[in-house]
Amino acid sequence: MIKGADAHHVDLSFDNNVFTLETIKRALYRFADRCSFDVESADKQTKVTLHVPANIAEPGIDELCSRIRNEVLDQDLRDSISRETANIRTLILANAFSNTGLIES
Amino acid sequence: MSRLGKKFRLPQAFDQAVPGQYWMLPCRFVNLDDNRYVLTNEVGEHLVVTRPQLEQFVRKTVSFHGDFYHDLKSKHFLIDDDSNVAVDLLALKYRTKAQQISQFTALHLFVVSLRCDYTCQYCQVSRQTDDKLAYDMSQETADRALEFVFRSPSPAIKIEFQGGEPLLNFPLIQYVVDQAKRINENHDKNIQFVITTNLSLLTDDILSFCLAHDICLSTSLDGPQDLHNLNRPRPGRNGYQLTVEGIRKAQAVLGRDKVGALMTTTEASLPRVREIIDTYLSLGMDAIFLRALSPYGFAVKTGQAYKYDVDRWFEFYKEGLNYVLEINRQGYPFVELYASMIINKIFSPFGTGYVDLQSPSGMAISAIVYNYDGDIYASDEARMLAEMGDKKFRLGSVHHDSYEDVILSDTVLDTLEATLSESLPMCNDCGFLPYCGTEPVYHHATQGDAVGHKATSGFCSKNMKIFRYLFTLLEDDPEARKILLSWVRP
Ligand code: SF4
Repeated sequence: MIKGADAHHVDLSFDNNVFTLETIKRALYRFADRCSFDVESADKQTKVTLHVPANIAEPGIDELCSRIRNEVLDQDLRDSISRETANIRTLILANAFSNTGLIES
Repeated sequence: MSRLGKKFRLPQAFDQAVPGQYWMLPCRFVNLDDNRYVLTNEVGEHLVVTRPQLEQFVRKTVSFHGDFYHDLKSKHFLIDDDSNVAVDLLALKYRTKAQQISQFTALHLFVVSLRCDYTCQYCQVSRQTDDKLAYDMSQETADRALEFVFRSPSPAIKIEFQGGEPLLNFPLIQYVVDQAKRINENHDKNIQFVITTNLSLLTDDILSFCLAHDICLSTSLDGPQDLHNLNRPRPGRNGYQLTVEGIRKAQAVLGRDKVGALMTTTEASLPRVREIIDTYLSLGMDAIFLRALSPYGFAVKTGQAYKYDVDRWFEFYKEGLNYVLEINRQGYPFVELYASMIINKIFSPFGTGYVDLQSPSGMAISAIVYNYDGDIYASDEARMLAEMGDKKFRLGSVHHDSYEDVILSDTVLDTLEATLSESLPMCNDCGFLPYCGTEPVYHHATQGDAVGHKATSGFCSKNMKIFRYLFTLLEDDPEARKILLSWVRP
């Protein structure tokens, strides 16, 4: 929606050994109101090109890039939490609905 | 619906804790500001933590002996080898929160007439006509709607009369109240009645009836005289005067707690939040609901909904909330109802019945609307959308469909499944999820999709701002915290 002739283009890159493509995509989703993205994944790095409107509101492009980098870090933590807690989440739900007839016999 | 019906495995199928370690329990987080995060879990417990603390928690380097470890454990963000009981406790708390889903439907709205004596610019539904037959609910329709009401499993039922101006069809209100009480002799539900009215047609007889049947009145009051009359034009331009007189009269007969008022925000309201609150105070009201203008119906057609954006509305809201806190500091208890609902979600084990702040969506679960012609809608907003020609959330008709047809309709079930925040992109890992909702009709109206794209959603952006502001107050302003906590219902 924002991509246009007079948009700014900025590249960010992320190390594939540290961040999964899924983590990066989830983080970018949150910025869809401010810019659009191209994502290119190579062997070692994922390159993200931001298309930012020329009339970007404060706090500006540098700040936007740093927020995106922080969000990728946050998303990485979120992914660790959901990986580790997937089983226990199911266990809690199973207990919560244990007298509802939804438990396998 | 097959996914909802999937069965769970027995608890023994999962590994238990191993001594000497801790395990994270399911949780989510969202940044509060540049340095802090709000961490919440499945049952709405929360902790505000710094970025280094968050990293320590996830990387398993929190010291076993510190306060932070103790906080994480006591609020169920982790278990260790001597705390397996936490899983049962969390399950119990989760079940308490989810209880409302099985106790549907508590609020039943009867649109007894679309006719109205006002010509409000933002009104979505009313008609200026004397043609009673065309736009008034009939006894036959009311009877069919009452059959639906008493099929609801909810032990507490609220019947709200809406319009147009419902007092234009007062005989039908009397009929419904009498019938509902008679039918309830066999059901023993806790029934409450509310009439949402502009009060201009209020008479002593109507008040006597309300007193005899313990009926509450809810009216519209947009602020000081010029603002109210600008927003709510009426032939004679005396809407404010009639409303204020009506409020005073009703308070005298029914008691202050039986008369409430709602305000609608328009562009003209934005610079005047203090005056609006002062108007409520001068009438002895003890609460105000600082609402955003809904994006439905004539509000969209007249361009009103887009005239101010979320940022401008939030400035209005923040100034209003700060003023409300100031009033409380001066010793006058006064509540802002949206903040109060969120605070209750944060601190009370019981969910709120407020339709907009529920997951899955509260439509048909929390509220159901019977239109004057017998059409059934999932919410008042759904009815307004239908008035604009979009009947996506019409569930059926009391005349042609059975209760089962309506409650188990694809519109209800698909929307419920699609609006479980736990499965929505962005919401599923947002720390505010336990306190937020989904608003399918809003997202359908503004984005063409009931799920909505949260990064660009006005609903999400508005709620994020309010949640952040409330958590900041709770954390950083002890006096404000004390006032906000006093709004938690016991
Ligand atoms: S709508 Fe926004 S604030 Fe609410 S849970 Fe979803 S992402 Fe969080």
